[in-house]
Amino acid sequence: MTKRKRFWVWFCCLTGVSTILLFWAGVPLLQQHLWSVFGGVVALALLAELLLIRSPLRPEYTDRGLWFSVSTPIVVATILTYGWQFGVWLDATISLLAGLFTAQLKNTHPRWALVNTVQSVPSAGAAGLTVVALQWEPASPAGLFTLPAIVLALLVYMVVNTLLVSVTMSIVEGVRVPWVLGQTALSLPRDIALMAPISYLITAALAAYGAVGLVGVLAPYLALRQAFVIGARQQELYHQTIRSLGFLVQRTHPYTGGHLQRVSRWARRVAERLGLPPDRCELVYEAALLHDLGKTVIDERILNKPSLLSREEWQEVKKHPQLGAEILSNTPFLSTILPWIAMHHERPDGTGYPFGLKGEQIPLEARIIAVVDAFDAMIGGEAPNQKRTHRRSMTLEEALAELERCAGTQFDEQVVHIFKQVVQEWQHQRVAGASV
Amino acid sequence: MEGTWWAGLTAIGSLLALAYYAFVVAPARLHRWRCEGLRAFARLIELRTQGRYGKSEPLTQIAHAVALRLRLPLHERRRMELAIYLRDIGMVAIPYATLNKQGALTCAERVLLDRHAEISASITEQIPGLWQVAPLVRMHHVVYSEHPDAPLSAHILSALDDWLRIAQHADADAAAAVLKQGIGTRYHPLVVQAILDELRQRALDRRNRLARSAALWL
Repeated sequence: MTKRKRFWVWFCCLTGVSTILLFWAGVPLLQQHLWSVFGGVVALALLAELLLIRSPLRPEYTDRGLWFSVSTPIVVATILTYGWQFGVWLDATISLLAGLFTAQLKNTHPRWALVNTVQSVPSAGAAGLTVVALQWEPASPAGLFTLPAIVLALLVYMVVNTLLVSVTMSIVEGVRVPWVLGQTALSLPRDIALMAPISYLITAALAAYGAVGLVGVLAPYLALRQAFVIGARQQELYHQTIRSLGFLVQRTHPYTGGHLQRVSRWARRVAERLGLPPDRCELVYEAALLHDLGKTVIDERILNKPSLLSREEWQEVKKHPQLGAEILSNTPFLSTILPWIAMHHERPDGTGYPFGLKGEQIPLEARIIAVVDAFDAMIGGEAPNQKRTHRRSMTLEEALAELERCAGTQFDEQVVHIFKQVVQEWQHQRVAGASV
Repeated sequence: MEGTWWAGLTAIGSLLALAYYAFVVAPARLHRWRCEGLRAFARLIELRTQGRYGKSEPLTQIAHAVALRLRLPLHERRRMELAIYLRDIGMVAIPYATLNKQGALTCAERVLLDRHAEISASITEQIPGLWQVAPLVRMHHVVYSEHPDAPLSAHILSALDDWLRIAQHADADAAAAVLKQGIGTRYHPLVVQAILDELRQRALDRRNRLARSAALWL
């Protein structure tokens, strides 16, 4: 099934579920005459929806990522105060209105507003029905039992929403569902801890003063948003640092430009195939992007020399893995990838540099980078100025044969085996017309 | 009813904690995180120039203390710290041979080297979250008599950068003498005063510490 078809099937399923839920919830809601409350809550929730926060997922994504809002506590509070029907309709209304407005503002396609709406309705429905199953009495005074009910409702809402969003992302952007889940699951406890007090406050304000009570909630609400914005910024900074360092390597030595991008993508794919956990695969991608960082502190005249290097010059070039690690040594959040960068020229037979480590002493991630780096260096870049200056480039088959020949001595056998499969698959895909 | 009170108090306490986290703890952590990332850039320049430029560790501490003496606000102190890490990043665009040349530089090489502040600033401007640091990076060699109205943090950077370079090669007294000589012409008088006070304080602290440990031994 093509990507487009899969997307439409998924979209139709979501729309079907959402329509049923909205119809089921709408009929009893019409008899309650809560129009003024509905208007007030929609206004506050819209404000929350419009103050979107972007959480970047991968370093190579520049303007994409996961956009999320902090309207969830409002929806949960209304579920507890006015019943699940109210919550479902509220979520549908604000998702659609805010989505359409954002589409206009950011010049994106309005269909995403609809996609977001049909994703949030089942999430609100699931949270609401959980509360119903708990036999929560709507509009009861805010008591001690409210807080656990809120936490549970938030948890259900966020888990269901994350699941639906991950499936959509996996269809649209080609990322794997477990990876997106892994990325978001880590922050789930923190998010719930931040949202629960706000949700409790809104519940209490609605129970005591109705829609007017929402005015008092505005200040803490903005504090909550600030906490989320900073969390998202921290993640963005991490990616920005890696991206900027990558650009720096690329700019200082242009021949490594396309090389870095290719090596990182291949390395991530091999790591995935070797069964490493998703977050580890991302780290392999980042380490591969920065593996030549040490070259930025070596004399360009040596690196760009068209003839063979002298012994002294070669000794100088050999320092680059350690220099790369040295550059990152004061940056604790990159400490995991540091040894991989330092050891990406080690060989399983112990003849590599700088430490002369053997076999299992070399981390698997460094062995992956070693294979992929050597392969890309052998085949050279696609543009003439990307070709290595002191070597003739090989064909794909020649390079794979060379890797096979050196497997066990220069390269790790298992990694070479997996890498060969990855390259062959890529070749098949390329023949079939798809790009990497 | 008692339960409601408890729940209300818990909610208010949580909200206060949330506000503290959102406006105090989280921004400080974000700044630390950002500095850790930028330290890699400073280290890169330090390695590329064999320790001649880009040194950041001794500078951040003393610059922070001097800024406190001059009562610079928190956001300005943070901006200055970021500028310390980024000030020499433009050296990546200058050939290795020029950066590490033994002996005197030619006039052309000197001009090239002097452009590093401008290149550093233009690189900094490209990074979305750091554009506000760029003016400070551009002015990190500012001369007081030419730009007396430049921000105080730029004057601190300018004086401390020179002080550190001289203190590395000659002794600390010679470096302090250079600062004194430049008061009102090259360096901002208030800034030089604050730096000299801070250095004096540090020397005094060091002597006291030594005396204390000597007393312990005796």
